[in-house]
Amino acid sequence: MKEVIAVLRMNKIQQTKDALAEAGYTCLTANLVYGRGKQKGLYINPLGNITPDDKRAAIRFLPKRMLTLVVDDASVSPVVDLIMQTNRTGMIGDGRIFVCPMNDAVRVRTGERGNDAL
Amino acid sequence: MQLIRAIIRPEKVDEVVDSLDAKGFSAFTRIDVFGRGKQKGIQIGPTVYDELAKVMLMIAVNNEDSDEIVRIIEESARTGSFGDGKIFIGPVDEAYTIRTGEMGL
Repeated sequence: MKEVIAVLRMNKIQQTKDALAEAGYTCLTANLVYGRGKQKGLYINPLGNITPDDKRAAIRFLPKRMLTLVVDDASVSPVVDLIMQTNRTGMIGDGRIFVCPMNDAVRVRTGERGNDAL
Repeated sequence: MQLIRAIIRPEKVDEVVDSLDAKGFSAFTRIDVFGRGKQKGIQIGPTVYDELAKVMLMIAVNNEDSDEIVRIIEESARTGSFGDGKIFIGPVDEAYTIRTGEMGL
């Protein structure tokens, strides 16, 4: 069982959810988060040009959406591929995906454990 | 690769981010969370606050950097009173950059 954590653009979230639902991955947790990457946020100079080297920070943290999915081992690579396809614009800020191990899951309603609970 | 989740005081976030930035660790995810610790929240007069505002910083790092990052966070987030927060470290199997599709940080 793996936990897939994807930090994505705000405006791509509906598209991503639709694509995941179509492929049969309906369960997810969505979160509003703030983040930044290697570029250290967004720097805008007085002329309105975005220059990553300019140290006059305008936006240190950008709003993002975080999707967390817990899936079985076989579904990890289709889910990751699907999220990458849907969210790729080719510009800085497309986001990142982390795949972490998850030891167990419990469905609260029935007490099922492991893959049955997903 | 490790995923460091640090739950710290909201007023210390800028300090922690700046000191990590100075050492070259610039990528974070920041989440506003509420939590309590061993002290079961805080009691002021008759009122008990058991969900205190905190900020969770998520940082994915290479294994060899994780000790240094934990040390930097400890130093910059410490006030010495209850409520300074906790740091959790867990494994990450894979990380992808969506723009390029590359694996790794």
